[in-house]
Amino acid sequence: MLLGIVRRIVSMAVTLFGVAVVIFVVLRLLPGNAVTASLGVSSGLLTHAQLAALNHFYGVGEPAVQQFFSWLGSTLTGNLGISLASREPVSTLVGAALPITLELALASMVLGILIGVGFGMIGALHPGRWQDDVGQGVSVVGLAIPSFVIGTGLVTFLSSVFHYFPASQGYVSLLQNPWLNIQQIFFPALTLSLGIGAAIMNTTRAAMLEVSGLNFARTARGKGVSTRVLVWRHLFLNALVPVVTMSGIQLGYLLGGTVIVEQIFVLPGLGRLLVTSINNRDFPVVQTITLIFATGFVVVNMLVDVLYTIIDPRTRR
Amino acid sequence: MSELATPVVTPEPMDAVNGEPAARHRTWFGTVWRSRNGRIGFILSALVVLGAIFGSLGVTPYPPDAQNFNASLKGISLAHVLGTDQFGRDVFSQILQALGVSLEIAGISVLIAGGIGTLGGIVAGFLGRWPSALIMRVTDVMFAIPAILLALAIVTALGPSIIDSSIAIGVGYIPIFVRVVRGPVLALREADFVRAGRVLGFSRSRLLFRHILPSVAGAVAVQTSLALAWAILAEASLSFLGLGPPPPTASLGEMVSESSSLASTAWWTLAGPSIAIIIAVIGFNFLGDGLRAAADPRSKTR
Repeated sequence: MLLGIVRRIVSMAVTLFGVAVVIFVVLRLLPGNAVTASLGVSSGLLTHAQLAALNHFYGVGEPAVQQFFSWLGSTLTGNLGISLASREPVSTLVGAALPITLELALASMVLGILIGVGFGMIGALHPGRWQDDVGQGVSVVGLAIPSFVIGTGLVTFLSSVFHYFPASQGYVSLLQNPWLNIQQIFFPALTLSLGIGAAIMNTTRAAMLEVSGLNFARTARGKGVSTRVLVWRHLFLNALVPVVTMSGIQLGYLLGGTVIVEQIFVLPGLGRLLVTSINNRDFPVVQTITLIFATGFVVVNMLVDVLYTIIDPRTRR
Repeated sequence: MSELATPVVTPEPMDAVNGEPAARHRTWFGTVWRSRNGRIGFILSALVVLGAIFGSLGVTPYPPDAQNFNASLKGISLAHVLGTDQFGRDVFSQILQALGVSLEIAGISVLIAGGIGTLGGIVAGFLGRWPSALIMRVTDVMFAIPAILLALAIVTALGPSIIDSSIAIGVGYIPIFVRVVRGPVLALREADFVRAGRVLGFSRSRLLFRHILPSVAGAVAVQTSLALAWAILAEASLSFLGLGPPPPTASLGEMVSESSSLASTAWWTLAGPSIAIIIAVIGFNFLGDGLRAAADPRSKTR
């Protein structure tokens, strides 16, 4: 099992290296670079000497491979560069924004799993009945309505009907004012969790229905196991693997979703910083945030893989 | 004793592929139409495509950009079926025009994703060995970056024009096409009828184009429909963030974002574009479901 984990970590490192290459290629080698981006049209007026000096300043004059490794090296040693727009270190900007996005992502995931597993279980235990229909209705809403529509609708509804908009006082951290912070995070998290919850719900329902038709479930029922033990010990534990897989996959959706939801609910997290930086063509910040999101996604999916071996002993080799 | 003899019955003509009676053989469209989701999906996507065509050709009740301050923020009425915005522009006409742009971007991006992805999947599945390993490694890497973030990064580098948005959205979907195509190609390469063809001395390209690809077409069709739904959603998200095609090009996401400040007094400015996006996304998703039922005869149709 230890060997398996080591193998996964190596494979993860290879994937992350590839991710760094892709981000670098997309952001650095496509037409235009940090110099032309920061100066716009006026970059055409530079003399050769000025251009060379600026290229050196931004580190874009060297051959691409050398640039890549010097970027990778400084990133790995914690030097993320300087924001082109605000002239602050990228690590400061990202460090301030990261906890907010982490809190939002965690809250959305928890809500999404509660909604998804909850409705999915209820639906699977009463297939075809009204409980199932309610679940299916929630799932269609969650899957079909994009998060920015749900979010915009929710903000409009809360502010026009209840005159309630917790973000109006500016963001406060969980330590400063826990109650206000929870209010500020809850609604964006709810917005994101509907989409995640819908996908998890469908997976849970299908997995539960499949498992409850298997022989061991019939045997358990036959020997008179109580409903509660049957559902949680026999069925749920066996239906858990696809549910965990789906939750891991949904994290990618979640990370993309934070970008949109933070915009709607005015949360100064990584997603909002990303959009601002894209508009400013602030390459160092954009590549750092993209790398953070991708790393988070890869690491969580590796953890999901490891989790399989804990949930399902059959997958241990 | 004569009753026990096998009665001579002319056998029903059999469908050679599925082993089902040919009388039940349906056209693709028939099978799609028979499933409930397929029917809903076909109708909704047809509506969306029609709306987009009308919008692109400029066949709208009002000119989409015509401002009329005497009729600003009018609710739903016979004159303006989806109301008007703060400049008195007809929301329905704007939606039609924006649908045209959305579908154009979605269409180009799916062409990019489907073209490159299918080719990659064929190469990875049919050639095997190191091309396969290389391509699968690259798709693993692309899977590690959430598609919408990849699109955001590409938009940063390229800019927000229609073709740039299409590239940004399409690239993120390439790995899904690679996986969808590679699996069946890999399986079919060793299928009996392909082996038989190999024994008969058919060339590799004949095996690929005449025998393997037709069997993969169904999976590609399903994925194309799902990809269209995703691309419409991604385009709306990008333009909602202000990273879509710049004005005056209308787009649905931008309409939603602009209406957010008006929505408490004029709910129809938010409802119209939102419902248009939802119909398009549901339509192409359900159409994909229906196509799946048609492509895979074993799947249960509801």
